Amino acid sequence: MKHFLIYTVKIIVVALLIAVALDGLYTVIFMQSENRGKVETVFNSKAQKYDVVILGSSRANNHFVSQMFEDKGLKTFNYGISGGHLFEASLVLKLMIERKYEIKNVILEADLNLSNDQESDGVSAKFLPYIHNSEIIKEHFSNQKNFNELYYIPFYRYIKYDSKIGFREVVKIESKEKTNALDNLGFYPLEKHKNGNMKNNIVNLKPLKHNKYYEEIKNICKANKINFIPVMTPMCENVVGMNYFDKVKKQYPEIYNYENVVIENKYFSSCGHMTNEGARIFTARIIKDFFDK
Amino acid sequence: MFFNSIAFAIFLPIVFFLYWFVFNKNKSTQNALLIVASYYFYSCWDWRFLFLLVFSTFLDYYTGIQIEKGKSARSRKFWFWLSIIVNLGFLGIFKYYNFFASSFSDLLNSAGIKASPILLNVILPVGISFYTFHGLSYVIDIYYKRIKAEYNFIDYSLFVSYFPLLVAGPIERATHLLPQVKVKREFDFEKAKEGICQIIWGLVKKVVIADTCATYANAIFDNYTAMNSFSLILGAIYFAFQIYGDFSGYSDIALGVSKLFGLDLLRNFNYPYFSRDIAEFWRRWHISLSSWFRDYLYIPLGGSKGGIWMKIRNTFIIFVVSGFWHGANWTYIAWGFINALYFLPLLLSNSNRNNIDEIHLKVNFDSVKVIISIFSTFLITCVAWVFFRAKTISDAILYLKRIVTDRNFGFQYLENERYNYELLLMIGVFVLVEWNNRTKVEPLSGKRNLLKIALAILAIIAFGTFSDYKEFIYFQF
Repeated sequence: MKHFLIYTVKIIVVALLIAVALDGLYTVIFMQSENRGKVETVFNSKAQKYDVVILGSSRANNHFVSQMFEDKGLKTFNYGISGGHLFEASLVLKLMIERKYEIKNVILEADLNLSNDQESDGVSAKFLPYIHNSEIIKEHFSNQKNFNELYYIPFYRYIKYDSKIGFREVVKIESKEKTNALDNLGFYPLEKHKNGNMKNNIVNLKPLKHNKYYEEIKNICKANKINFIPVMTPMCENVVGMNYFDKVKKQYPEIYNYENVVIENKYFSSCGHMTNEGARIFTARIIKDFFDK
Repeated sequence: MFFNSIAFAIFLPIVFFLYWFVFNKNKSTQNALLIVASYYFYSCWDWRFLFLLVFSTFLDYYTGIQIEKGKSARSRKFWFWLSIIVNLGFLGIFKYYNFFASSFSDLLNSAGIKASPILLNVILPVGISFYTFHGLSYVIDIYYKRIKAEYNFIDYSLFVSYFPLLVAGPIERATHLLPQVKVKREFDFEKAKEGICQIIWGLVKKVVIADTCATYANAIFDNYTAMNSFSLILGAIYFAFQIYGDFSGYSDIALGVSKLFGLDLLRNFNYPYFSRDIAEFWRRWHISLSSWFRDYLYIPLGGSKGGIWMKIRNTFIIFVVSGFWHGANWTYIAWGFINALYFLPLLLSNSNRNNIDEIHLKVNFDSVKVIISIFSTFLITCVAWVFFRAKTISDAILYLKRIVTDRNFGFQYLENERYNYELLLMIGVFVLVEWNNRTKVEPLSGKRNLLKIALAILAIIAFGTFSDYKEFIYFQF
């Protein structure tokens, strides 16, 4: 039995050493990642100057045409992340401030995402390679349920989110394979889909009374003298439970409601996401209301 | 509690410690601990089915004794059939009732008689096909006086419910496992070491090969109408490795875990994709099930004795029943039927036992023939797997038809955001490792053991698929 216990301990030590070595190797590689996604780009960037930074979920990513702002002479980037929640939007802004970005305006898509203050697994995973290299990221994750495993067990975060930050992503970073996340100044245009889901039911969705990360973004903007423009973006006409937006307006009166600016189905790729054409109508309206002065 | 879960990684060392350091006084305490651990393990899925397991155990235990004690042939027959009917009855209700009801209703509807089936809203108890077959073999062996009935309920319960084999086999025989649980187990370092190697290799098969292949195979099978010929061929190959890695990986972990407790289980896989014909494939694939059907169905039906029609009939029966054992769906029946068709020429030409020797390759024409026969056997196996994996028989036929008609052999980008060729290198390395170790139970033991284990662990943590978590396929059977 003694021999067996020694044998088992040896295997555990070998496993730990491999995990530590891989953890170090992956982290070093992620520290060099610049053209794969918005999170990596912000983390590995230096100070930037922006007139407009756009934050939010896919409903920001697909709805704000950055080039239209640029055409107005406003240096803009759309940092909306598909699948992201306010948890991640807040963290992106914190990282920008840490890197001394000079930002004049933040447009935050704040509507459906106000209904939760949880992290979005797939998106938040993108921050995890840097958890040991950034106090801000560590602090931001410190209240999450699995923080201890993610922070203290070597390589655990790369195993848990292997489809996002695992071996394949590491190979792609090393081979400098580009994604389209940074094309079009971060805006991702959608096309009309023949089979797009043009129905949506948000009856059960309720905005949180005090969304922690919405408040965080608001406070960061205030502290850094950034003009904060929170907006609700359009939904298609078939949505059941549209009074959600009224509830948002009631609880967060400062959020501008643009839910009705574009409603016709022809402008939507799916019920919550406009086509490029719809996005252009919507962006034009935003520019007119906030930047045509 | 899956073998590849954190919960099991905590459960196993605790049971191991208690088994060898606390409950090691005699075989009764060892067995009692393993029973408690097994029932806990099983209840982690759904504690309600524990009653079914205990009832099934008690039924076979009691009827086994009654059959042995039975003074008249009539009484023996009564207890024998009682056990068979109740065991198969449970299986029938939980696993097959809805299939028969809806198939019968479809038949009536196609004949113009309107019928809507009464379906049961029941979940299939995990492992029911496996522990029912344990019990059946035990009762049949007693009835035919091949073994004596077991009078110690704890020992018998352990034979049926032993946690490494409880939910997905291997399907044990009383003649093999019961004698082992009747004696106190002494710790054997070499056996335990082998067990560790087998567990680690099983994990490589499951998380590196099976689960990764699953990601690709699902992306291809679920969208087969949009896939070109090359993708569809790869989809079939990926599924072949998925199911092999999944099931043989599970079996390896089960055998390895059992070795830690000093108990040997039946070997379930012997590198089946290196088979030179389909008969050899079935001697190497899910061996415990194939031999079960051979001993308890094929031979009682007359086996290879009798005329040619008898042989053909018996062959089709065991393959179709074997397919049906996997699940209540016509696709499994079709899979069994296709394998029977593959087997038939070998049976008729009396060449079904041609390839029972080890494979040795040299630089000569015979070796080329061997390689071609291995590839062709793998190819026809992949065709049959398409039926196993497809949702319906029509889907399987359309899938195969599209391979032939599409004729586009370019690389496609899959919906899982991966290219469909990316996995081939990993499979190639896996096949090479298995080929070079085909005479061993697993490739990790032997010289440079720790280095090989380190490489296996590296493969598991660096290349394994964890986030897209998948159950073991055979749990559903």
